[in-house]
Amino acid sequence: MALISVRNLRKTYDIGSVRVPALRGVTFDIEPGEFVAIMGPSGSGKSTLMNLLGCLDRPTSGTYTLDGMDVSKLRDNARAAIRNGKIGFVFQSFNLLMRMTALKNTMLPMLYSPEGRNRQFASDALESVGLADRVHHNPMQLSGGEQQRVAIARALVNDPAVILGDEPTGNLDTSTGGGIISIFQRLNAQGKTVMIVTHERDIALHAKRILSFRDGLLESDEPVVDRLYAAPKSADGVDTEAQA
Amino acid sequence: MGILDAILTGLTELWSHKLRSMLTMLGVIFGVAAVISMVSIGEGAKREALEQIKQMGIDVVHVKRAMTSGELLEKAEERSPYGLRYGDGTAIQTVCEYARRVVPVREVFADVKVGEEPVTVKVVGTTPGYENVTRSAVQSGRFIRESDVNNNAPVCVLGAAAKRELFGFNDPMGKTVKIGKRLLRVVGLMEPKEVGKARAFAALRDLNSDVYIPITVSISDFRISSEQAVPADLVKLEMLSRKLMSRPSKDNSPISEVIIQVENEAATVPTASLIRSILNRSHRGIRDYEIIIPAELLRQSQQTQRIFNIVMAAIASISLLVGGIGIMNIMLATVTQRTREIGVRRCVGATRWDIVRQFMLEALVITCAGGLVGVGVGVGLASAISNYAGWRTVVSVEAIVLSFGVSAFVGIVFGLYPAVRAAAVDPIEALRYS
Repeated sequence: MALISVRNLRKTYDIGSVRVPALRGVTFDIEPGEFVAIMGPSGSGKSTLMNLLGCLDRPTSGTYTLDGMDVSKLRDNARAAIRNGKIGFVFQSFNLLMRMTALKNTMLPMLYSPEGRNRQFASDALESVGLADRVHHNPMQLSGGEQQRVAIARALVNDPAVILGDEPTGNLDTSTGGGIISIFQRLNAQGKTVMIVTHERDIALHAKRILSFRDGLLESDEPVVDRLYAAPKSADGVDTEAQA
Repeated sequence: MGILDAILTGLTELWSHKLRSMLTMLGVIFGVAAVISMVSIGEGAKREALEQIKQMGIDVVHVKRAMTSGELLEKAEERSPYGLRYGDGTAIQTVCEYARRVVPVREVFADVKVGEEPVTVKVVGTTPGYENVTRSAVQSGRFIRESDVNNNAPVCVLGAAAKRELFGFNDPMGKTVKIGKRLLRVVGLMEPKEVGKARAFAALRDLNSDVYIPITVSISDFRISSEQAVPADLVKLEMLSRKLMSRPSKDNSPISEVIIQVENEAATVPTASLIRSILNRSHRGIRDYEIIIPAELLRQSQQTQRIFNIVMAAIASISLLVGGIGIMNIMLATVTQRTREIGVRRCVGATRWDIVRQFMLEALVITCAGGLVGVGVGVGLASAISNYAGWRTVVSVEAIVLSFGVSAFVGIVFGLYPAVRAAAVDPIEALRYS
C-alpha cells in the first residue's frame, strides 16, 4: 500500500473576489522508502503541494491519504498531531529557535508528542547527523550546515513516516548543501521516505524519482536514471572552507 | 506540552529580555505594593479604632461636660450655672432604672505629694462602678467601695503610670499621699491599660496616670477648674466670685462625666435619647454637655472604613489595570516578534491550545513574578510607613493572597488576547515571516 496517496488534489485560494487555482487536480502515489524530488518553477504549485502534504493546509477538494489515513479533512488539532508524529519538516531557512540549544531544538517536537520527552532519542538523532559534539551549542554558534543538520535531527526525533524538505539546500553553498543531501540519502538508504522540493536539477538528481509541476498540474513523473550520490565528508561549509 | 515545560519556556523568555521583563513587571509591582500598603494602613487604622472603641465599651453611653462660650455662655450662666452636675447623674439613675450602672466621674488636676516634690496628676473622683464600666481592673488591693463614697473616706487607688511616677518601684500599698490638702491612704493599684498609639477618639485617654478617689472626697475637696474668662463687668464679676466662693450643694456640684452602662449595644441609642431629653429639661435647653455613644462611633468608623476601602480598591485596581495594559502591550509585541517561533512550534505539532497556553503562562509568569516582588515591596512599604509616620499598619495574609491573586488574574485577563492572537497565527504565513 502506498505511504502517500494523492487523488485529484485541488487547492484554490480566495484572494478578495479573485479565485486563484494553485493546484488543479493532482494524483500520485508514493511508496514507503522512496526518495522523491518535487520540481517546478515558481507558481507551479509545488509550495502549495508541500503545505498540503505537510498537513499545514487543507485541500479545496480531492483526497490525501497518509499512512493509511485520510488526512485531507482533518481538523486543526488532528492535523497538529499528524504533523507531530508522521511528518518531519526541514525548511530552507532552518527555522531553529535561537534561544535554545541544539538539543532543546531537537527535542521541540517531543514537547507536543503524546509519547513525551526522551533526551536519549534527541541526542541519538543529533549524533546521526554528526553533531554529537554540538549538543549544547546555540544556533548562533553553529554554521548554516550545522543548523540545517540540527533541523534534520529535529525532523527525525519523533520517527516520522515521511521527511519533507522545502528547499533544504537553498540557503547553503553547494558543498554544504551536498552534505545535507548526503544525509537525506543515507536516511533514505536506512528506509526513511524522503520528499524534497527543489528547483535545482542537480539536487533533484540525488533523488530516486522526480515529480515536475507546471501551472498547478503534474507535468511529469519519472525515475532518476543516473542518480547522483553526494559526498558525506564535505558536510560542513566551514570545514570545506578550511580544507580549501 | 507539559505545564512545566511551558513555565520553563516562559522563564527562559523573560530571562533573555531582563530589562524588558523588569519594566513590564514594574506596573504589577507598583500595583500590588500599593494594594498591600494601603490595605495595611486601612487595616491598622481599623484595628486601632476598634480597640479604642471596644475599650470605651460598646454597651455604654458617655455624657460629658462641654464648654459653652460666647453668647451661649451668658445664657448658660443664667439657666444652667453648674453645667453637668452630680444631680444629673442621680436623675439619670432614676429615669434609666434599667441601666446596669450609672457612674459619675469628676476629674480635676491636683498636686499630689509623696515626698517633697509635688506632681500634678489627674485625680478622678468616682464610684465603685467605674472599674467595671471602663473595663479596668485592680492589680492589687481594692478599688473604691460604696462605703468609701458614703463615708467620704480618705482613700485612693493609683493607676499604673501614676504609681510609677509617685513611688517608683516601692510598694505604695498602705502609704499615704497628700492630694491637695488632704492625706489619702493608698488602698489599691490598677492594672496597666493598653492604649493605642494614635488616639482616634478624644473620648479615650490614657487612664494609667490617673489617681482615683471617692467622688464625695472630690466634691468636698476640689473644684472643677472653669475655663471662664474673668468678666470685666463688675456685676458679673461679683456673681462669678460669689459662685466660686459659695460651696454648691452635692447635687449641684459640677462633674465631668456620667458613664451609663446598659444591658447591651442595642439599648445605647434609646438610652442616649432618653438622657438627652432629661438633661435638656434640667439644663433648660443649654447644651453644656455632650452625649457620646461608642457603639455609634464604631458604626460610623466602619462606615468610613468602607468608603476608604472602596476608594483604595479603586486606586489599586487602576494601578493594576495600568500594569495589566503594560503586560498586554509587551505580550502583543512579543507575539509579533516571535511569529516565526510560533510557526515552527505549530509545524512540529503544537496545537492552537498549546500556543495559547504558552503565551498565557508567560504573561502569568510575568505577573506572578511581579506580584511576588510587589508583595515584598508592599510589606516593606507598610513597615516603612509605620516607622516614619507612626501609623499602625497591619499586613494581613488576606491582603497578600488577594493582591497576588489579583495580579495573577490580571496576567490571565491581559495575557489572553495576545495569546489568542499568537494561536491565530497561520503557520504557513509564520514560517515565511522574517
